[in-house]
Amino acid sequence: MIRDQLPTSQVRYVGREVTRIEDPGLVAGSTQFIDNLALPGMLHCAILRSPHPHARIIRVNANPALALDGVVAVLTPEDVRRLANPALTAPAGWGTHCLATDKVRFVGEPVAAVAATSRHIAEDALELIEVEYEPLPPVATAAEALADGAPLLFEQHGSNVIQARVYDWGEVDRVFAEADQVVRSSFRWNRVGANPTETFGCICQWDLADNSLSCYGSYQVPSFWGLARSISLNLPANKVRVISQPMGGAFGGKGGARATDIAALLSRKAGGRPVKYIEDRMEYLLAGFGQSWDRHYEAALALTADGTMTGLRVKLIDDQGATAEGYGTISVAKPLAAFTGNYRIEAARYDTTLVVTNRAPTAPYRGYGPPPHFLVLESLVDLAARQLGVDPAELRRRNYIGKEQFPYTIPSGNEYDSGDYAAVLDKALALAEYPALRRRQAEARTAGRLVGISVVSTVEPGVFDWNAYATVGVQGVGVPEGVRVVVDILGNVTVVVGFNLQGQGQYTIAAQVVADFFGLELGAVRVTTAPTDLAPPHFGQGGSRLGVAVSSAVLGACRKLEADFRRVTAHLLGVPLDEIELMDGRFRMKSRPDAGMSLAEVAGLMLGRSDLLPPGMEPNPQASCVWTAPGRNAPDDQGRCRSYLTAANATHVVMVEIDRDTGHTEILKYVVVDDCGTRLNPAMVDGQIQGAIAQGVGAALYEEYVYDGQANPLVTTFVDYLMPTIHEVPRTERDFVVTPSPTTAFGAKGCGEGALHTTPAAVICAVNDALAPLGVALTETPASPQRVWRLLRQAGLG
Amino acid sequence: MTTRQRTTITVNGTRYEREVEPRLSLADFLRHELHLGGTHVGCEHGVCGVCTVLIDGCSARSCLTLAVQADGAEVTTVEGLRDRESGRLHPIQQAFIDAHGLQCGFCTPGFLMTTLELLRDNPEPSDDEIREALGGNLCRCTGYQSIVESVRLAASRLRG
Ligand code: FES
Ligand code: FES
Repeated sequence: MIRDQLPTSQVRYVGREVTRIEDPGLVAGSTQFIDNLALPGMLHCAILRSPHPHARIIRVNANPALALDGVVAVLTPEDVRRLANPALTAPAGWGTHCLATDKVRFVGEPVAAVAATSRHIAEDALELIEVEYEPLPPVATAAEALADGAPLLFEQHGSNVIQARVYDWGEVDRVFAEADQVVRSSFRWNRVGANPTETFGCICQWDLADNSLSCYGSYQVPSFWGLARSISLNLPANKVRVISQPMGGAFGGKGGARATDIAALLSRKAGGRPVKYIEDRMEYLLAGFGQSWDRHYEAALALTADGTMTGLRVKLIDDQGATAEGYGTISVAKPLAAFTGNYRIEAARYDTTLVVTNRAPTAPYRGYGPPPHFLVLESLVDLAARQLGVDPAELRRRNYIGKEQFPYTIPSGNEYDSGDYAAVLDKALALAEYPALRRRQAEARTAGRLVGISVVSTVEPGVFDWNAYATVGVQGVGVPEGVRVVVDILGNVTVVVGFNLQGQGQYTIAAQVVADFFGLELGAVRVTTAPTDLAPPHFGQGGSRLGVAVSSAVLGACRKLEADFRRVTAHLLGVPLDEIELMDGRFRMKSRPDAGMSLAEVAGLMLGRSDLLPPGMEPNPQASCVWTAPGRNAPDDQGRCRSYLTAANATHVVMVEIDRDTGHTEILKYVVVDDCGTRLNPAMVDGQIQGAIAQGVGAALYEEYVYDGQANPLVTTFVDYLMPTIHEVPRTERDFVVTPSPTTAFGAKGCGEGALHTTPAAVICAVNDALAPLGVALTETPASPQRVWRLLRQAGLG
Repeated sequence: MTTRQRTTITVNGTRYEREVEPRLSLADFLRHELHLGGTHVGCEHGVCGVCTVLIDGCSARSCLTLAVQADGAEVTTVEGLRDRESGRLHPIQQAFIDAHGLQCGFCTPGFLMTTLELLRDNPEPSDDEIREALGGNLCRCTGYQSIVESVRLAASRLRG
């Protein structure tokens, strides 16, 4: 598949494990992350934040702060009410201004801000700002939000329910009524989040002369954030320029809507001086855009006596936190793209309720919605296996969509492109030496040890598309991703993209395609990002799409260049156009391969010898291509559509042991086999998998944003929020299967979110397999020692 | 407010003398006074190890060290790794590239400095020793396996 697409006799880069062009600057420490940037006259911003989960603001007096030497501007709720609009939310109308104007709705919500000549002075000045609050009763949990007479966060809506929606696919009631076996469980997924090592940062400069705004910063999807700023700050979109800097990871909602608005307005108040804001870790943990998936599930799986899964019902109450600024409706709706996982389940129902509470607003996180959903589905499958007395691997295999059934439309509407789930399972079981592993488990159990094994399979929807979200208020079909490939007069090639580095290596992917297409050395291709006003239409990293999108867009642009360059060559050699082909970097005659021109010769001619060009031809050795996933359609009223272009899949086999005395879970073995189609750069795919496993282990065993009964956050440092270190992340054994996608140029599938879909389910299922003989089950994440120990006590141990 | 204090710190072989506020962290001093931006900060409370530098040869958290505490010290940062003349990367840096020991690269300077100390003291570390040494550095991207491989590769190259 790779060969067919590239005019080369030997593919040197695409599909090969090449080192990344991003890396020299990163290891040298010279990459310009946002905090390395300074502009002349720059001020520094600090933000005063609410200590209350819910309180009316009576009065804010920032004047004393202005009196401090070095303070140049302050921003108050007054200013914000006058100069800005509430944030964009989905659905609309559940957002707030960048500073709280009437009341605060979560601890850490910005209330006022200062711009000063140094961050130290700005923080000193915060202490001088007087704020008077009238505390209101907080809504601490989703249940409280739904209770009769609950305090309201947004009085104008008369309810704390953001959205309630039931999807029905197929004859759910019938299959449940006819089922021989129904397994049920509730699940509680507690909040976790992205926590990139670099927090959000920005420098904003408001040009007062032409009323335009420039925002430099760690912006994950630059044009999206630019558009949102134009709305919140009342500027025409072409007067907001976002310059995305390299990011120290993102994994979801990096883009600092509130902070950008605050820094922008401070710049405006400071006469147009640039204002820098760098979020600190405490701010990130309190109120950064880094808390995700606060969920309560009730779910059931219907099966026939022979173990055929027939129906799935999932009821979800999702605590969005204080606003809907995280587009949580998308997060809740994303499981539609893979609702029934790897299985031939004929009917399903998804009953969703999203509520606001006085916890911090939630945000996108790698995977966006399916990781908790797959914990629910895969746990039900294990419960069913236990009840039917069937091996969990075997039960899964019986219900897999067969490799001959693709393309396969699932009840919730998405079409899976390809796959061979049984092959992935077989490879995983072989690599894990599954029968031997079960024997080891049996021996351990005899010896009184709590050892559990899981075999979990999931599907990763790849290549995000807006059409998946029309039913929850986000309209659109297609997510364009554009690149421009430019050849200079000496034949050097530059690829211009609209996003910046974030860790996945998409610059390298772009360079791999160009280098193979034009027969260049990888290192000779330069990839660079353009500000939003100069870049082709783009989205950037999100929804496991950029590898596929960029490789496709670059290929498209190269083809356009090839067509123009062939035309020039044919004209110059005086032969018909179809006599000229591109091969190994030369535009040559098919009949006389030694006659032809190099890329540099054609480009030089185009730009330097207009007299030799075909009549009417533009001297323009560059081409743009804006790619969007083909074949997407608008959804029906039940959300059914061809949403995500690719469906990767994986099976993880995990063995854990629980300490009987402490409840601590240790991972003894971790096996992964995945199939994400063609691997454009195998080492980078491996990195995505292992990295996502680390995050999945964190979510399953360690990480949790804890709130007390009054909605006060108890997590404010990395001492409380337990990020997995090298000691917690298992050394995995990995293998893969390649089932190319028939829908993408190189056969690659989206794979960036990957293992985070699978790992939490795999770890929790293994924990429950260990606990099963005791007759207890863990239905809440993470499996912290304390939580597991309580279960052990309940079972008479510990 | 605070009186500034004269502080002399040698960084990567160059001696710097500055008047600094006592509350200025060494990380901020390096980054914003000396414009050596390769040392990053990830938490500013001593957990993530992103800010790791060598102070008189020992790895230390530059976010928890005040600049004035480093008065008279020799500090090595990631900028000191490359060969000054040729610009060639240090074998540890090259090994991280070759074994894909980084993704976003924000944590990388901290890992490089910790590795520099480790391989100086123990040129042939076992995997467990590597893990032990890197236990104080967080990486959110890689899942660490490729970092261990990078260190192993660097060790073997440095041994020649
Ligand atoms: S920034 Fe110093 S340990 Fe995190
Ligand atoms: S490479 Fe991103 S944090 Fe380590």
